[in-house]
Amino acid sequence: MPNARKLATAALLSVAPVTAFPAFAHHGWGGYDSGKVLTLTGTIQQFAFENPHAMLNLQADGKVWHVILAPPGRMTARGLPAGTIKPGQTVTVIGYPAKSDPAEMRAERIMSGSQTVELR
Amino acid sequence: MDHDQGPTGSGWLAALESSGLGETLRQSVWLYPLVEIAHILGFALLVGAILAFDLRLLGVRSARLPAEALSRLLLPVAVTGFALAVPTGILLFVTEATSLIRNPMFLAKMALIALALANIAVFHSRVGQRMAAWSDAEHPPGAARVAGAASLTLWIGVLACGRLIAYV
Repeated sequence: MPNARKLATAALLSVAPVTAFPAFAHHGWGGYDSGKVLTLTGTIQQFAFENPHAMLNLQADGKVWHVILAPPGRMTARGLPAGTIKPGQTVTVIGYPAKSDPAEMRAERIMSGSQTVELR
Repeated sequence: MDHDQGPTGSGWLAALESSGLGETLRQSVWLYPLVEIAHILGFALLVGAILAFDLRLLGVRSARLPAEALSRLLLPVAVTGFALAVPTGILLFVTEATSLIRNPMFLAKMALIALALANIAVFHSRVGQRMAAWSDAEHPPGAARVAGAASLTLWIGVLACGRLIAYV
């Protein structure tokens, strides 16, 4: 029995390196620099109301920003269902730049017309 | 997905991703999370049942819990979980086929699943086939303990890589 327990523990510990990856590049808020708050106002070039999260390309600040929003279900629940955001529209997004991509940001909230929607 | 917000690359993966099924899943408010829920339920049953049986293979509670009796409960649960996790996994793959095929965590997960299935095949064709002979033994044979340890490691690895797909 103690032998069995030792084996089980060893097997579990050997998995640890797999889970201990350092640089989380893309998703999850950990991949974004919350110390730098960006406020971008611009024109939507492309918009995708898609799982796992909606996103838009925004012409702002002299370049095209790739902006990560929230899942369609949450956007809908908070007042931005499909069709309410369209290319050509002007919006403001407040969020954080990606640590690994200078043209990507994840939005904490989006302002469209008179609406302000929290995305987290 | 890449910055141009469309499937990148060519061939059947891009076709799969831009198919009606892919579009529907990506744009649905409820269907996508439902598929995710079914996928999670599937691998919870699969990995939960397997890990419990792995512990028994390692000798945990072996004195009063016949391996054969335990396997009659846990293995069908694992098979049910697998049958749920695989089709839902394929649906989730369709939604992001072109980026998943380049995702190192996804590739690692697939490789670990292949190894874990190979481990199952080896176990059941060898020491598992003689389970009646050691079902009540306090110390399962070495081959069973090795299979249990390998399984435990591989399936936790599969689970970890699966979750990390969204973070790399």
